[in-house]
Amino acid sequence: MNDLRNGVAIARERMRGPSAPLVLGLSCVALFAVGVLESQSDAVSAPDDALVGAVFGIALPLLAYLVSERACDGTRLDRSVDCLARYGTNRRAALCGVLLVSALSSAFAGALLTVSALLGAHAPRSPTLLTDLRASVGIALVAGVVYALYFGASSLLGKRGGGRKWALIIDFVLGAGSSALAAPWPRGHLRNLLGGQPVIELSQASAWLALALIGVACATWSVARTVE
Amino acid sequence: MSDAQGNTRTAELRFQALHHAGLANINASFSAGTHVVVGSEADGTATLIELAAGMTKPSAGSVLLDGVAPWSHARARRRIASLYATETPLPARDVASALSLALRALGEARSALSVLDHAGLAHFAAKRVSKLTPREARALALAFALSQPAPALLALHEPLSVVGIVQEDFVLQRLAERSAAGAIVLCSASRLEDAARLGGSAGALSRGVWLDPASARPPIASVALRVHTAEPRRLAARLSEAPDISGVEWAGGHELIVRGSELERVAHSLVANARAEAIRITAIKPDAPSLEALAAARAGLAQAYYERARSADTDPKRPA
Repeated sequence: MNDLRNGVAIARERMRGPSAPLVLGLSCVALFAVGVLESQSDAVSAPDDALVGAVFGIALPLLAYLVSERACDGTRLDRSVDCLARYGTNRRAALCGVLLVSALSSAFAGALLTVSALLGAHAPRSPTLLTDLRASVGIALVAGVVYALYFGASSLLGKRGGGRKWALIIDFVLGAGSSALAAPWPRGHLRNLLGGQPVIELSQASAWLALALIGVACATWSVARTVE
Repeated sequence: MSDAQGNTRTAELRFQALHHAGLANINASFSAGTHVVVGSEADGTATLIELAAGMTKPSAGSVLLDGVAPWSHARARRRIASLYATETPLPARDVASALSLALRALGEARSALSVLDHAGLAHFAAKRVSKLTPREARALALAFALSQPAPALLALHEPLSVVGIVQEDFVLQRLAERSAAGAIVLCSASRLEDAARLGGSAGALSRGVWLDPASARPPIASVALRVHTAEPRRLAARLSEAPDISGVEWAGGHELIVRGSELERVAHSLVANARAEAIRITAIKPDAPSLEALAAARAGLAQAYYERARSADTDPKRPA
């Protein structure tokens, strides 16, 4: 438990600094603007378009990637806890602490991005705003956690965590489809939850399950691939 | 070193058929006491220390501390105090917070200030971690390593290179205490003077090849050195009369080939004669009969200088 706490401490310390809130703030402003523009072109589909395209399609994966990169100090997830491991800390436990911080940060960022985009896309006193917010923020929180675990696990590939970059690209490319090739990546399932095209005709309940499976598999793989 | 029953245990660090980066087939074991590895970072000393401390996974072979690989066992690493060639402090706002986190990771209740205070580094407590110079970061890591109460192994890269920030007496005294308490003190030193001051038994790393003290003086039938100087003719004339030099070849240019039976004698004679004539030598390159023989001879030379520096260091008649 102490090792996990130490992992949380170093990841939290790495997340400090003015650049993280600045990037998040700018992203929120940009997504609000996207929402406003979408609502001006088509008010009915504006919330869906802003969420599927700008928030869950681009901003959230990118931000989760940056959060993972920063929490891991720009290196592999297992090597990012070496500074603690030298004092006898169990790498696996410390790594879980780092994952926890990056998952919570990504989830929080995802929720803020979603709220910003929806506030821009909906009319100020729209009756559907609250319902939309409730449903979408829930999806954003899960998406943030899954992406954090996904990028953490993929950073274990490559000498300096280069797998993380490839994971982002693969999610963009393969996750955009709806065939079986899109099944192992979070993007397609998130699109399904937002009302978009499902991956291999999976129901929305199955998409939740698929996301949970991806998250659990990534976390398990991260722990299994790391030595004590 | 004592176990739970209070029995004295002797720690052992063992490198078995170790291959990693530039290190080639290292087989060596170290028991309690001080051991100095003479060699530069390019020879692989920094890598060796990281491997010993369990921070790097060996490409092949194994590193065992009391039969356990520190790389894959957190408990084994908890018994190791280390100082690397490049130190990255723990992420924290200031030095005291970084040390507190390190102490918490070790499961110790001591305060960071007491660690700094003992080493005379209390003034660093409030300094921002991001403002530390690399040398200061190493000095703090050394102070922390020396503060650990009962490590089985101290793996320290060039501990005397931070003297000036940390007091030399403090470092040497702490190392002697740990060594006497049954810990393995494994230090690297690129300067022979530092190796002499650290004391203990000395081995050498030469371009990744481990040369223990036993193989330090191998017999070599004939050795040759390629010497570059601006005055080859004058140096050749002087060396032709030197008793330890069996032959001097000059094929024009600035290079001489100097031959003799023992590398250390040839090198010593060459330097002494050049110095006597005030001739500047710009480069000396060994013209080795075989790689193994050359490596062993280099260690012999290093060992000879090491012994000389050590005896000079302990000679009471030596002027300060």
